[in-house]
Amino acid sequence: MPTENQYEELISEVIEKQSIILGPDIAILKARNVSELVIDDQGKVTEIKGDKKAALQKIINVYVELSGMIVKNALGSIFEKYPGVEKINL
Amino acid sequence: MDFFAALFIILFSVLIIGGFFYWKIYKLKKDVDKNEEKMRRGMYELAILKELGDRTGYSLNIQNIIDVITGSLRQFIDYSVTSYIFVEPEKIIFKAHLEKSVSREFIDSIKKRMVSSLSAILNKDFSKTHVEEILSGAILTEYMNEPVRSFFNIPLVIAGKVVGILTIADTKTGLYREEEMTILYKITKQASNAVSSLQEVVETEQRKLNAMVASINEGVVMTDKDYKIVVVNPAAKTAVGLSSNEEVSIFDFIEKLGGKFDIKEKLEESVKLDKFLTVDDVLIDDRFFQIFVSPVKSSFGISKDEIMGAVVVFHDITLKKQVEKMREDFTSMMVHELRSPLDNIKKISELLIKKKKAKADLEYLNFVFQDSSRMLELVNDLLDVAKLEAGKFEVNKQPSDIVELIKERANFFKTNAKFSKVALETYFDPNIPKTVDLDPIRMVQVLNNLLSNAIKFTPEKGTVSIQALIHKKGQDIIKESSAAGIKWFLNKEAKNINDKSNCLIVAITDTGIGLSQDKIVQLFSKFKQYRVAIEAGEKKGTGLGLVVVKGIVDAHGGSVGVVSEEGAGSSFYFMLPFNQ
Repeated sequence: MPTENQYEELISEVIEKQSIILGPDIAILKARNVSELVIDDQGKVTEIKGDKKAALQKIINVYVELSGMIVKNALGSIFEKYPGVEKINL
Repeated sequence: MDFFAALFIILFSVLIIGGFFYWKIYKLKKDVDKNEEKMRRGMYELAILKELGDRTGYSLNIQNIIDVITGSLRQFIDYSVTSYIFVEPEKIIFKAHLEKSVSREFIDSIKKRMVSSLSAILNKDFSKTHVEEILSGAILTEYMNEPVRSFFNIPLVIAGKVVGILTIADTKTGLYREEEMTILYKITKQASNAVSSLQEVVETEQRKLNAMVASINEGVVMTDKDYKIVVVNPAAKTAVGLSSNEEVSIFDFIEKLGGKFDIKEKLEESVKLDKFLTVDDVLIDDRFFQIFVSPVKSSFGISKDEIMGAVVVFHDITLKKQVEKMREDFTSMMVHELRSPLDNIKKISELLIKKKKAKADLEYLNFVFQDSSRMLELVNDLLDVAKLEAGKFEVNKQPSDIVELIKERANFFKTNAKFSKVALETYFDPNIPKTVDLDPIRMVQVLNNLLSNAIKFTPEKGTVSIQALIHKKGQDIIKESSAAGIKWFLNKEAKNINDKSNCLIVAITDTGIGLSQDKIVQLFSKFKQYRVAIEAGEKKGTGLGLVVVKGIVDAHGGSVGVVSEEGAGSSFYFMLPFNQ
């Protein structure tokens, strides 16, 4: 059942997983480069300004650019939890 | 406009212009600083990539590459510990370099974070996997219990596969800036890409090599310097009784070849001595193999001629052996079949000669007798050679009077020598004992062969001498022969003969045309001897006699040889071991 804040929750989980993989410093710094996202110090997304799907695509692109296509494997399980989220290019 | 107003305007203008220039200069300085920082990072990136190229070359070892990256980090960022983990089939290797002293807890903390990172990427729990720890640099201390406050992980990916994690950590908070971290990701990614590309090229080449080797009928096993199998084809697996499609190691070969062929020892010998080895007639199950072992050397680059490993080739000779045996059996059978009727012809012609016949008949009968005798000799030689080749040749040693035997033979050949106008002489060392262990029948055969050859190839007015001497190890053969009044060509070989064990030397020395060195080496070989015999022209013979002589002497545990001087003559000799 899609919730109202599913993009915020999904992106928060992506940042959380990337914090485990890459470390919280770099994971949050990189996430803050996505201008549509408002992120607190724990890496939680508090607000998405504008197109939510575009924001999701941008943050995935940021992590792929940083550490390559292995992001795809690591994030697959998160996307499975949000079937209501429109598919993006991983 | 009064003075003050004008002054105000001027001052205001100066202020405005000054402010503008100050702002401009400030902005320029900021841009310069920014560019300098950018350039510094770029320079570092270039420097580290160059260092990677210089230090690792075309290395496929990601650990070497990571060592270079972590070793050069200090000039770029501050850190307490750099570490990396690598995933191996049974364990994880954790290697950390302590730039500053940290606590045990600090190390355990980064280790835990790295294992968690690996688990998150691969979606697999590594928390229970054994971690082998290697620490270097500063010492661990309990007095400084500072936790990990700044860190970042860089996944190490080769050919799309995560192989490990690189981590930079420090005790200070918020130490790493995004640009610094990003540049390290970039460098690691470039190094990983380079390794991946190189690995792909190597794997493609290896696949090509494997496909090529797989199609070869000979069994091929190629190992690296540590005798780990690099390439093995199905024929090699089948040769030793392994399934052609199973993964094998050198230990499988060692086990299957146990007692038949020590593959490890031969590989080590070949690599250590840089030598090509051949092992004949190795029976594996029901098949015969000729096995070649050779070192494999690099043919290019700085490692040119460096030994990279070794190769073993299993050449199946079962069919060849079967054909050879069939041929030998056939020859042996034919010779047996020929000997009996030839013997009859010889005996009948001998009988007819004894009965008084007309002169013309006698002449024809003599031809029949001589030709059948020659053919019988040839057949006997062939039979002996066949026996020698089949390993069925045996001698029946018994105490025999060698001096008497030689005298008897000299007497037998007297007529022949006289007919050829060649003098026949004998010389004996007085130290020769009354009896020597040998096969008298076979020894007669040896003397017959050597004497008939010597007489045949010595021109008229020449001399053939039969000489016998006891040589003692370490004694000078020149002095020994001189004391016995023996003149032969063996003195030329004194250096080689002096150190021979105690032996009886029998030589047939002639004053013929002598032999060149290249002819001498061919004398005792069956097929090459045939060529020499043909070249001899009028002096007919197959030359098989010398092959038989060698076989008989070898069977006595002795050796044969020839020493010759072109234009002066030759000494054909044999040595029999003598233990008294």
